[in-house]
Amino acid sequence: MFTKPSNIIGLFFILLISSITALAFQGLIGFSQRGADLALLEDSYFHSILLFSIKQALLSALLSTVLAWPIARAIYYYPNIFLKQTFLSLSLLCFVLPTLVLITGFVSLLGLSGFITPFLGEDWSLYGLQGILLAHVYMNLPFAVRAMHLQLQSIPDSSWILARQLKFSRWQRFRLIELPSLSANASLIFGFITILCFNSFAVVLALGGGPQSTTLEVAIYQALKYDFNIPEALTLAWSQFAIAGVFFLLLYRSSSVPWLSKDSTENIWIPNIGKATKGIYLLIYTGTFVFMLMPLLALLPGVLAANYSVDLIVDVMEALSLTLLLGVLSAVLAMLIAYCIMLPIRSAVQRRQRRLQNTLQWLANHTLIAPAMVLSVGLYILFLPLIDLDQLGIIFVLILNTLLVLPFAIQQIRARVLQYDSDYALLYQSLKLNLQQRIAIEWAYIRPVMLSTFALVLLIAMGDVAIFSIFGNDQLKTLPWLIYQYAGSYRIHEASFASAILLLVYFIILLKIERAKQHA
Amino acid sequence: MLDIQQLQIQLGDNQLNYHQQINSGEIVTLQGVSGVGKSSLLLCIAGFIKPVSGQISWNDTLISTLAIERRPVAMLFQENNLFEHINVLKNARLGTANIDDDAIFAAAEELQIAEQMQKMPLQLSGGQRQRVGLLRTLLRPEPLILLDEPFAELDNQTRSIAANWVNKIARAENKTVLLVTHQMEDVETLADRNWLME
Repeated sequence: MFTKPSNIIGLFFILLISSITALAFQGLIGFSQRGADLALLEDSYFHSILLFSIKQALLSALLSTVLAWPIARAIYYYPNIFLKQTFLSLSLLCFVLPTLVLITGFVSLLGLSGFITPFLGEDWSLYGLQGILLAHVYMNLPFAVRAMHLQLQSIPDSSWILARQLKFSRWQRFRLIELPSLSANASLIFGFITILCFNSFAVVLALGGGPQSTTLEVAIYQALKYDFNIPEALTLAWSQFAIAGVFFLLLYRSSSVPWLSKDSTENIWIPNIGKATKGIYLLIYTGTFVFMLMPLLALLPGVLAANYSVDLIVDVMEALSLTLLLGVLSAVLAMLIAYCIMLPIRSAVQRRQRRLQNTLQWLANHTLIAPAMVLSVGLYILFLPLIDLDQLGIIFVLILNTLLVLPFAIQQIRARVLQYDSDYALLYQSLKLNLQQRIAIEWAYIRPVMLSTFALVLLIAMGDVAIFSIFGNDQLKTLPWLIYQYAGSYRIHEASFASAILLLVYFIILLKIERAKQHA
Repeated sequence: MLDIQQLQIQLGDNQLNYHQQINSGEIVTLQGVSGVGKSSLLLCIAGFIKPVSGQISWNDTLISTLAIERRPVAMLFQENNLFEHINVLKNARLGTANIDDDAIFAAAEELQIAEQMQKMPLQLSGGQRQRVGLLRTLLRPEPLILLDEPFAELDNQTRSIAANWVNKIARAENKTVLLVTHQMEDVETLADRNWLME
């Protein structure tokens, strides 16, 4: 561990982010003067959205995790399957893809006049539970595939050598090697996806509809935007916070899900597979590849049909510049804060203060479960009478985006720095290195993860719509917001063009991530 | 003098007791069955294990209350002595700020690892890694050297070379050495005294 002042910096940041959340809730409570509307808890409307929120989250997580398993096996047991690296990069793209880009693609494919819709029968509708599940599975299945594949990759070759030497049957290999490696992480993957889907906003807003398919997050938005019913919004927000918090506590008792790490060194003793199995794996893999590519390719006809004008190009480029600027600033801040926050957590881990470690981690990551809409609106109401939010709103976009990507940054660097401490804490303390030497050595160890995590949080921050919808203004627009405006005014071709540009930028940044991992 | 006074360490359900004086410049080997607390004692002197009671002094200065960084101790662990992501030479330089590369290479030559200095630790055998750790520990300026099974992975010939080198440097620099070993050969080559733990 570094010196104590560094722990204090970390604790300061934890206090700061917790205070911002507290301020947001204070803003809402102070404005309504009444606090939450507890009678709502008895209401059937509340029960139906609560049930739907949990149902869609659990179903999305279950489908993503269960379907990911055979796909991860296919890539693992068939290591030279075609375009494997591209497939893994595309998986990452699907996870971080701005929701509006995805929905534009899905609407072109499966919407009322989508390319595939005529083949799906008269009963088909993209809207409602099936559309939400489809979008959630699209975004989270690839994440689960990557995480499980990585887990399989970490099976040491010595296990396979031993298995061969002991003449294990296929069932024994599965039961004694594959299953133990996957089982612990599968529940983590399931839990993590459940939280993400439970808090899902844009997908449900776009593809849900009516109380039958509304989640708590969207209900909060509706209570605030349409009814301006703050007590109701508060009740919904507290409920969301509490339920997601329980999920999160359960999840965080175990370790994090590694999924961005470098693939392990070559595994040359992976069991060979027969021709029939190869064929099945090829089928599963190709099907998944097509599923992931289709919504992206569906943007192309719109791009070709767009009415290109100087105004369109200028608008898109200006919005892209702002998106990149805000994204980079948020990502830099999030990385710095995440690193500082990890310092007291690492100290607690080394001292085996499990309870303190869990508390700090929970506080540091609480923005993963705090509804983005509540944070934005709470702060908006609190600061509206105090400062000119038209002028300074963009600063709030930056701060809130930083807060919301922070858990992803912590999640990714946590495993690496804890591993570093576990391997080297005794050594670096025993060597009595000065601060500069410690940082230089530690940086060399964590640099690849820091760079790829930076790119990841940059992509997530660049995709924001929810926060910008509250604090943004018409003079300064981000690209996702511009896409939303084009789509909202039925300029679907322009929306497709702007989506394609954003997709291209995402793709370039993704290539950088993959390159950083290769050099890890 | 290293003065270990009524030291008690809790190791699982067992309480380990130590009471011993070791003169400056003395080389003492530690022997005893596994689990008797040899490594725990070294870790306690280095500051990684907190004793239940008792104290450790070095030249009449109490060190058992000092932070790890302030103790006059250089220690070689049984494993994890090298950072895997930086090369061997950079590893050897750590903690040896006053030693120039010539001295490091001269020592490496004697320990027969000079050709490995530009490699990454992963490219080295267990024995080579152990000698890199040994080299660094002995070249560090601290007067009190703790070596936890430093020759465990060495063949007989290399073991003898490494032991003689430790003996030479420790005597020349007047270092006090505590060395855990299971081999009587090490006791005969190096030790002024053998501390048999029971």
